Amino acid sequence: MLRYIAYRLALLIPILLAVSLLVFVLLHMGRGDPALDYLRLSQIPPTDAALAEARHTLGLDRPLAEQYLVWLWRALHLDFGTSFVTGRPVLDDLLYYLPATLQLGGAALAVTLLVSLPLGIWAARRPGRWPDQLVRFIAFFGVSMPNFWLAFLMIALFSVLLGWLPPMGRGGLEHLVMPVLAVALMSLSINARLLRASLLEASGQRYVLYARLRGLPEGQVWRRHILRNAWLPVVTAIGMHVGELIGGTLVIETIFAWPGLGRFAVSAVYNRDFPVLQCFTLLMTGLFVFCNLIVDVLYAWLDPRTRLEGAQVC
Amino acid sequence: MNQLGFKRKLGAFLLAAGMILPAFTQAEVLTYSWPTNAGPLDPRGYSPNQMYAQAMVYEPLVRYRADGSVEPWLATHWDISPDGLIYTFTLRDGVRFSDGSVFDADAAKTNIEAVMANRKRHAWMELVETIDHVETPDANTLRLILKHPYYPTLLELAQVRPLRFAAPDAQPGRPVGTGPWQLVESRRGEFDRFARNPYYWGPRPVYDEVLVKVIPDPSSRAIALETGQLDLIQGSEGEVSADTFERLKGKGYHTAISAPLATRVIALNSNLAPTNELAVRQAINWAVNKDAIVKHVLYDLEPRADALFSTNLPYTDIGLKPYDYSPDKAREALEQAGWVLKSGEKIRYKNGQPLRLELCFYGANALQKSVAEVVQANLGSLGFDVVLKGEDEGALVERQRDGRFGMIFAETWGAPYDPHSFVSSMRYAGHADYQAQKGLPMKAMIDQEIGEVLASVDEDKRQTLYRHLLTTLHEQAVYLPISYLTATSVSRDSVENVQFGSTLFDVPFEVMKPAGN
Repeated sequence: MLRYIAYRLALLIPILLAVSLLVFVLLHMGRGDPALDYLRLSQIPPTDAALAEARHTLGLDRPLAEQYLVWLWRALHLDFGTSFVTGRPVLDDLLYYLPATLQLGGAALAVTLLVSLPLGIWAARRPGRWPDQLVRFIAFFGVSMPNFWLAFLMIALFSVLLGWLPPMGRGGLEHLVMPVLAVALMSLSINARLLRASLLEASGQRYVLYARLRGLPEGQVWRRHILRNAWLPVVTAIGMHVGELIGGTLVIETIFAWPGLGRFAVSAVYNRDFPVLQCFTLLMTGLFVFCNLIVDVLYAWLDPRTRLEGAQVC
Repeated sequence: MNQLGFKRKLGAFLLAAGMILPAFTQAEVLTYSWPTNAGPLDPRGYSPNQMYAQAMVYEPLVRYRADGSVEPWLATHWDISPDGLIYTFTLRDGVRFSDGSVFDADAAKTNIEAVMANRKRHAWMELVETIDHVETPDANTLRLILKHPYYPTLLELAQVRPLRFAAPDAQPGRPVGTGPWQLVESRRGEFDRFARNPYYWGPRPVYDEVLVKVIPDPSSRAIALETGQLDLIQGSEGEVSADTFERLKGKGYHTAISAPLATRVIALNSNLAPTNELAVRQAINWAVNKDAIVKHVLYDLEPRADALFSTNLPYTDIGLKPYDYSPDKAREALEQAGWVLKSGEKIRYKNGQPLRLELCFYGANALQKSVAEVVQANLGSLGFDVVLKGEDEGALVERQRDGRFGMIFAETWGAPYDPHSFVSSMRYAGHADYQAQKGLPMKAMIDQEIGEVLASVDEDKRQTLYRHLLTTLHEQAVYLPISYLTATSVSRDSVENVQFGSTLFDVPFEVMKPAGN
């Protein structure tokens, strides 16, 4: 198992390298000019001389290949450059905003699990009956509703109309409610339906029939035979949800003025803050790959069959 | 017993709270928002230093007024030598920085020399290149010696950066100015808190603090105002969208629109067919229904523009005759110039060439796109074939540089840059204005006059030169002025005396008052 984990972590290096190159190329393929954005933000009239000076200051006057190699060399020393916009080291800014995003994403993940699991089980225990229909309705609603739209609707109701919840900022639990719901709803909906389908599939298996024939109590049948087998697809899905949740925070943080990474990255996109976008993408790739690694390890632990296969691969 | 204990504790707490709370509630805080943090507030720094915040903390020698003149500020008096080369300022007595240190001629000199030491960085401002050296005959007198006469010297000294003053002995990175406010706390991505400068020489601001929350999204900002998280929204860069402004106005919030601060124009290329013909450029000016644009696209937030510069700017109130909306006049001008519309056709032709031109705009700017569509429709009905080109900013800059446009969106730079800095830039290739004017037979004369007006020390001569220059540009119809950009503000009942700054870049928090004060 340790060898497997080491192998997966080693795989991270070419992945990050490829992602960094891809992002670099994509950023520079766009025709927008960060120097122009810098001047706009600085309220400096964009004269030729000012543009040249800004390009020089931002290091954009060097050949592209050189820019990438310099960036890469520094990145290997954990120096990801200076933000065009804030003037601070990129890593410093990103790490500053990371906890707020982890808090939001973590809370959303927790809510996703805490709500989708009971809903999925509830629906699967009564297929075709009203609980199932209700969960189906919630799921359709959740999947169809864009998260930013839900965010605005919630703000209109709970903040503007009723005045119950603060519409923005980071603070106590009350600040967390709406952003977390907005981020989590889609993952939660997918997860509930997935678990329901998975449970129903597992409960149709022969071993469940045999368990029942053996006279095991129904609770035990569900716990030990249906749930344990139905977990697996859901665990894989959770790995995917991590990406979804992080993607969700990008927009939601901007709407709720949540001082996190997502909002910082969205501003960086607007202002063509290349160093920030480069580092942000790497950080997110690393986080995503790492979460999937955890999921895979968890998967192996839950399912002895994959563990065996994994051992053979290693 | 436990319960009794709890009650006692609660009672004691409430009593204490009752005594402490009034002390807290007395602090009057104005809440405002901005898309980013204020930045490190280096008086000579550009992005990420936010100009509204630099203007709160640092002060100029002279201050720009809405009518385009300057008023005494840190300098109470000034003399300009007859040759326009020496500016002698008498500095205000008793001015202290927010750390208690004294503002005097030496402090001022240190700041100006710090700018000059970095000329390249500040080269966009002509004055920085023009100052030869600084002298301090005594503690209250500051003398600027210029290399050549430059009339906008006072106007450029009034700007928010880089020629303002920080305490020379302040710890590096600590913003210490003479302004009414000092930055006391800054939390990244959340807020910046400004408190009154205890040593401020001028009228004491009524608010104790200005809390500026970081809110990048305009919709979220509007919600923050509606839910009482903000007292005030004010700005000139879409801090509140036009329809939200209308909605909030309808809900009874206080709203205001500033005087014109800059001009939204479309430059017409006099160096490229068919706009190389005066008749075509004039026809375009007559053909576009600006009132409809102002009403339906701009929601009446910006007044119609009839000339390149609004008349509240210096030297621009010269009675230029507007091109009124008149499709008939436009049609007549085109017919006379030989652009013929054959029956059954939609496009005019002259010598086999169609009346076709490209209108270039910033594709991500919804407002420019809407205006462009109205222009396209207006001109289309007269037999023009207007091709809309929505592109990114970089592509637009390239077009401005090499003149590949029929019509292109532009904005003047606004007070206090208008008219002098904007006019100055017309001389340099790389600007849309230069390219647009390049085909004019009198372009050389225009450029020469711009040089003369900037160096002119005689007020009458300057007015005459400006009159001739602006009249020529107007008559040659190289611009299609659309509207005058304004700042907007929306505020709650909690704040009174909300006013606008005299430029695009400052918000006068110091004159605002809490309700009932």
